Amino acid sequence: MIRRRTLLAAPALVLPAAARAQAWPARPISMIVAFGAGGGTDVAARSIARFMEKHLGGASIGVVNRPGAGGEVGWTALAQAAPDGYTIGFINVPAIVAMTVEKQTRFTIDSFAPIGNIAYDPAILCVRSDSPYASLGAFIQAAKAEPGRITVGTSGAPGNSEHLALLVMQRLTGARINHAPFGGTAPLRTALLGGHVPAATFNLSEGVDQAAEGNLRILGVMSVEREAMAPDVPTFREQGVDVVAGSSRGLVAPKGVDAAILARLQDALARAINDPEYREAAIKAKVPLRYMPAEEYGAFLKKTLEEMRAIWAATPWR
Amino acid sequence: MFDPLLVAAPSVLAPTSILAMVLGTAMGLVVGAMPGLTVTTGIAVLIPFTFGLDPLVALGLMAGMYNGGSYGGAITAILLRVPGTPASVATVLDGYPLAQSGRAGYALQVAVVSGTIGSVLSALALILLAPPLARVSLLFGPAEYFWVAMFGLATVAVLLGDDPPKGLLSAALGLMLGTVGQDLITGSERYTFDILELVDGFSIVVLLTGLYALPPVFRMAEEAVREGMPGSALRLRRAGSVLAEWRRFLPVWLRSSLIGIVVGVMPGAAGSITSLIAYNEAKRRSAEPESFGKGNPEGVAASEAGNGADNAAALVPALTLGIPGSGVAAVILGGLLVHGLRPGPQLFREAPEIVYGFMLQMLVTAMLLLLLGGLAATRLFGQVLRLPPVVLAPAIAVITAVGVFAVNNSVFDLGVLFAIGLVGYAMERLDYPTAPAVLGMLLGPMAEQQLRLALTIGLGDPAVLVANPASWAVIALTLLVLASPWLRRGRTVTS
Repeated sequence: MIRRRTLLAAPALVLPAAARAQAWPARPISMIVAFGAGGGTDVAARSIARFMEKHLGGASIGVVNRPGAGGEVGWTALAQAAPDGYTIGFINVPAIVAMTVEKQTRFTIDSFAPIGNIAYDPAILCVRSDSPYASLGAFIQAAKAEPGRITVGTSGAPGNSEHLALLVMQRLTGARINHAPFGGTAPLRTALLGGHVPAATFNLSEGVDQAAEGNLRILGVMSVEREAMAPDVPTFREQGVDVVAGSSRGLVAPKGVDAAILARLQDALARAINDPEYREAAIKAKVPLRYMPAEEYGAFLKKTLEEMRAIWAATPWR
Repeated sequence: MFDPLLVAAPSVLAPTSILAMVLGTAMGLVVGAMPGLTVTTGIAVLIPFTFGLDPLVALGLMAGMYNGGSYGGAITAILLRVPGTPASVATVLDGYPLAQSGRAGYALQVAVVSGTIGSVLSALALILLAPPLARVSLLFGPAEYFWVAMFGLATVAVLLGDDPPKGLLSAALGLMLGTVGQDLITGSERYTFDILELVDGFSIVVLLTGLYALPPVFRMAEEAVREGMPGSALRLRRAGSVLAEWRRFLPVWLRSSLIGIVVGVMPGAAGSITSLIAYNEAKRRSAEPESFGKGNPEGVAASEAGNGADNAAALVPALTLGIPGSGVAAVILGGLLVHGLRPGPQLFREAPEIVYGFMLQMLVTAMLLLLLGGLAATRLFGQVLRLPPVVLAPAIAVITAVGVFAVNNSVFDLGVLFAIGLVGYAMERLDYPTAPAVLGMLLGPMAEQQLRLALTIGLGDPAVLVANPASWAVIALTLLVLASPWLRRGRTVTS
């Protein structure tokens, strides 16, 4: 085992950078997923990996699940991996950014070199269809009339992206709500449908089906523009509340990967996303595709970091 | 409810699904017959290998493993006096004497027929009872789930017979392990000692595997010099037909199946208890109770029918409420999650074809049991027993370690596995039951989290806990379980 690895590493030491990039990929590439197998990120990783393999000329990409600590275990491993192009991985924004803001982590967003963003799922605020809150305005009015007495459930732990969005909403409108972190979308959605919480926030793709069935009403989507998945749902901005929030999944490499190799990874991702077969599969699986090339993704990461720092300064969430 | 059944039927009967069920049942028989390997372990080891499979193929494997394993345990119980799974403890009592008197083949046949009948009735109950339960389950919010957890914890305390203080200590250990990790409401970390891997708490699969799979390995290592069973001692030919004596067994089958289903549905009662209760009940009702324990086939029938009937029924709370009623159910929940299926009421809405498909697979594999277990496995798998412990023990240890590592790709988990395995071994040697610890681990965090969530939603007013009729019903059930020993004592005094 050791001998084989030395043999593989030997050319890397001898060859100049250009030749090294040309020889890449000489062995399988690991794609780290910081969440358990079968979760949303895992499924996204496994599906894109297949198409990236195809566009990297038959390279082999293996998904490695490293769950734990809300992603911190996997992201630490990714940041600390050798920047040789043989380890890439998924990061989830804003979760990873919020983590670097709220506590001491062994990585910052500068530890990663962006390859590209794949999906973006905006957050929504929704109520059961028989709820008295007909619109976002009515909800905010009610929350102002009874400060801190209307409960809104969120799908994560304190400090999740929806919790942060609610903090911003409260700051902008002066309304005050009671926050209940459910730790997962399934129990939250069940509680909302069963009338155990009056309102809840989760991602759009997790609510469109129930809204289409007429069981839930989406008061607003926290995106810049209306979403193709739910064109009838007004955005928060349209309703006078400037909150944009959601969670994105993108692909990065540890910082320091050879520029030529990084370019090939970025190119393979772009081609994979535009592969008609992949697009069809993604739409069927309700993946909220939003491709951002590396440069745009990098800017998006920086912008998110500034926003998170501002929120933390105004209202630390833990 | 027949619509989703009809929709699911074709995919259940698809060739890949049938292959998965046959394979699963066969593997279950092997796993069950391997002393030390429980169905829980078997399924836990299996899960990582099902990542890339179609959900119904993966679930077919699990259903087969579940039903097959519950009978497989009887093989070693009857032949070797070693219960292959904890649930086959009661089968030892009459099965081994029967085998000793030269009727091993007959005893195995009684076991497989009884187990099949119990499993089939149980699967039917799951298919019929689960949908109404799923509809009712929307009534369950955080406050109600808190009471469900309390109910589960209450049943543990009462059902743990022999030495209640030991049972309670074991449950307390489980509760303590359950508190490790990030606090959901405030986000602060508890007992994590800055270890990143502990922030999410212990992985239930790792704990369960350590607690159940490793202690028997250590036990085997103790007696590693023993040899396997000589081939000449295995008498596996059939003698007499059980089905011809159906009149004799019918009341035992029906009674034991009913017990198995009722106890199985309760999310606090483990399978090993079911077969013991069924056995005791058969003995109590028998015209000749003194013949039990000396090779009465009715004892084997009662134990195995009860054990089989526990299987699918234990999945009712797991599938409809997301509450695992047993260790196996917990691992199956994990298996569902791997495929993006979140057990709970929404599962019936979101993936009816998969839930109903899985329930049908439980039914089909129950019947496969008769075919595979009755015709082939009994003779074939019996040969495994000829392996000496010196080969068997390390093989189980390696398989377990590989399975646990594959779940999270975590070396830390391997450390936890062996540490908890040693704890489980110590508990076993000191006669502490491990089942209460498992339930403590599962139900403790649930009780705490749901209580605090309910109070958060209720703005701190404890009245939310008793605001709904669903809460009252669960509280009443809990009180009933807690009061039953006194009620029973009162009755014996008057009679």
